Amino acid sequence: MKIALASDKAGFELKNYIKDYLENEGKGYEIVDLSEEPAADFVDSSVELSHAVLDGKTDRGIMFDEYGTGSAMASNKIHGMVTANVTEENTAHMTTQHNGAKAIAIGAGIVGKKRAESIVDEYLGVDYAGGRHQIRLDMLEKLY
Amino acid sequence: MIIALGNDHIVTDTKIKISEMLKAMGHKVIDVGTYDHTRTHYPIYGLRVANLVRDGKADYGVVLCGTGVGISTAADKNQGVRAALVADTTVAKYAKEHLNANVISFGGAVVGEHLAEEIVKTFLAADYLGEDDDLVKKIDAVESKDNPEQHDNPHFYDHEMKLWDEGFYHD
Repeated sequence: MKIALASDKAGFELKNYIKDYLENEGKGYEIVDLSEEPAADFVDSSVELSHAVLDGKTDRGIMFDEYGTGSAMASNKIHGMVTANVTEENTAHMTTQHNGAKAIAIGAGIVGKKRAESIVDEYLGVDYAGGRHQIRLDMLEKLY
Repeated sequence: MIIALGNDHIVTDTKIKISEMLKAMGHKVIDVGTYDHTRTHYPIYGLRVANLVRDGKADYGVVLCGTGVGISTAADKNQGVRAALVADTTVAKYAKEHLNANVISFGGAVVGEHLAEEIVKTFLAADYLGEDDDLVKKIDAVESKDNPEQHDNPHFYDHEMKLWDEGFYHD
């Protein structure tokens, strides 16, 4: 699975930490780091990541900024995008299973490193459930 | 203030608690549903709240589903709406002060009753500081396209609901 990472300045250190975590633990993910240098702001980083996922260049994405909610707010403006601002493990896996979340946002000022490890493992470790949940995604798809 | 309140069937009980709190604080609440525990679909209610906020019929919106992800995403996909998904008051305050968020969202099955109440209170009490106009405009400009049909259209999801009733969507 190809995973895009993107970050502004405030999320940069945690982005790099999670990049190392996902690459070095033999997890088998291919990491596409869109922010070798920090983006100017979280709008730029989250929008770039969204297009990478929506265009099929990566399967899922993880966005980093200071509070998380800004990246989710900006990227969810994009037609077809579903980004979950995640601070704990339950939402991390539920949003894949029920929302088919194309990305998650993590606030580096809110979530610590060990929690972030668990969150990305939970988010990436499950699949979208489909079924009854698909009507909700079809409804979201009609919104611009 | 006038607060639009929306939820799915997973978190109706929490919604009622929030509604009661808001009314006790002196706010007017427009509860767009859902009103019971019968299975329904979060985009319907996220969109209803977004319409009220977008049109100035409500000052702010509060939306909740199990995790808050689905309903906040639905609300956010509307012009003039900035929906913030949070799990604590720190981020709720930031979202208003710096992003001028007009819809607050949380996971009704994730945060407890007391924290949910505090998130809403903190969000409403905070003021946009006016320092981030360029950033707010940039967020609003991310999606250039519009779907006029989603605005104030009670029949917007008729097609999907028909398919649902026909059993098209099943586990």
